[in-house]
Amino acid sequence: MIRLVTLSEFPPDVIDFVSRRLHAAYGMGSELEGEGELPRAAFDDEQSAYDAVKAVEEMDDDVALYADDKILYLTSEPLTAPEGPMGRGPVDGYAQYGGGKAIVTSHGLSDKGVPLDVGLAKRAAHYVGHLWDLHHCFDPRCVMHPGWSPGFAAYPEVALCLFDREKSERKIKLGSS
Amino acid sequence: MATKSPEPVIGDGSLHVGDRVVYPNQGICRITGVETKQIAGQNWEVVTLSREEDGATVMVPKGKVMGIGLRKVADVAAIDRVFDELSTPNTDPQLDWKVRHRENADRMTGGGLFGTVEVLKGLHALSRVRPLPQKERELYDNARHLLVGEIAAAMNIPLHVAEDNLDYALWPPEGMKRKGRPLPPAMLGPPSPARVVTGDDDDLGLDDEELGTAVAAPVPGAAAPAEPEEEESDEEEEKPVPAPAARKPPEKQKPKAAHRHEAAAPKKQKPSHPPAKKSAPPKKAAAKKPAAKHPAKKAAPAKRPAAKASAKGKR
Repeated sequence: MIRLVTLSEFPPDVIDFVSRRLHAAYGMGSELEGEGELPRAAFDDEQSAYDAVKAVEEMDDDVALYADDKILYLTSEPLTAPEGPMGRGPVDGYAQYGGGKAIVTSHGLSDKGVPLDVGLAKRAAHYVGHLWDLHHCFDPRCVMHPGWSPGFAAYPEVALCLFDREKSERKIKLGSS
Repeated sequence: MATKSPEPVIGDGSLHVGDRVVYPNQGICRITGVETKQIAGQNWEVVTLSREEDGATVMVPKGKVMGIGLRKVADVAAIDRVFDELSTPNTDPQLDWKVRHRENADRMTGGGLFGTVEVLKGLHALSRVRPLPQKERELYDNARHLLVGEIAAAMNIPLHVAEDNLDYALWPPEGMKRKGRPLPPAMLGPPSPARVVTGDDDDLGLDDEELGTAVAAPVPGAAAPAEPEEEESDEEEEKPVPAPAARKPPEKQKPKAAHRHEAAAPKKQKPSHPPAKKSAPPKKAAAKKPAAKHPAKKAAPAKRPAAKASAKGKR
């Protein structure tokens, strides 16, 4: 089950759309679990954004998880991530690879000209994919394609490429057993 | 029956119990000890490793430790060179599949950091020219997995941050620089031939299971490009083959067909496709344009869903 927790205000139909797309992409149930707040400690004053890694790790919630449940936090706040070898780049979410928690932001979708529901659903599916150990994909139509690439706005479908689809299915099957 | 030796010397002496090492094709492991195992009536001194990813135990005969390419995790300086290498575009992918296969297999079994980088970079460059066959798609994913793991281990950063950085080099976002030098922003490559089809809620009557199936289903005629490498002829490899699935790009993509292969795709693939019966589903799906159905939602943030109040109680 993919449990959605909203950390900002989202229209109900957007959450509904995201839920359906996640279900369609991974074949797992997806439902709105509740709402929460981004931890203030995760706010990075220098970047004027929330540190996505800290936000996920320090999130204070009591969502009950069973077996292969995944939690996806949805926010509209800007996110940042620790600086890596390439410096700082665009950050639209964070996922614990092979883990249980991920966070996604809708921040910046309007700049790309992508509708809120489609953009959020694509990002949500992308980060849930990371929770299932999927890596970035070179196919611009796949949701695992990097979110900053032009493919994100060019292909509005929320769909996995065949390779990622099969890989996620294998992982999900192994997980449930 | 296993006995532990007190202070073992592993390989050429550079490895010690507790070290994080890279096992070729397996990823990051930690040396947990040296043991003597009795196997088939003989005593074998084996180095035991624990794979960090899943905790699996790997045993390597002590005499073969260096031979299999076991090495320490790269240092920060080496990772810096990796990113220098990755951020230099490869515009000349190896098109001869036999040569490519042999080279990539050697690099992966060798287990070297830069060998893995070469594999990833080469296949990435090839994927910009045409879709990868299934085996190479797996190899690409495997090389990426190993590299992300080693970057994360060396830099002590989360895997996700490591992968994002790797792709900042391969697919530079607008304004990305490497050591003060601006990198050319990523262009759109050809879509994969294994076209996935999304359904639309309204059209499917909210049958989520059907929707899931629809998403999973590839275009019937599109399986051909994932053909085994053995079927590819040398002649075919001489020149880049365009992406078959690019035959139906979205309309707004057409200007970006600056990518010459995307533009050329329909000509190359049409003859090999089965008759209209098989190619019908993608057309239907493409005509649905699900994104265009919610143009007004973006501007209408409303109150929170009614379900939330009750959901909160569950938490």
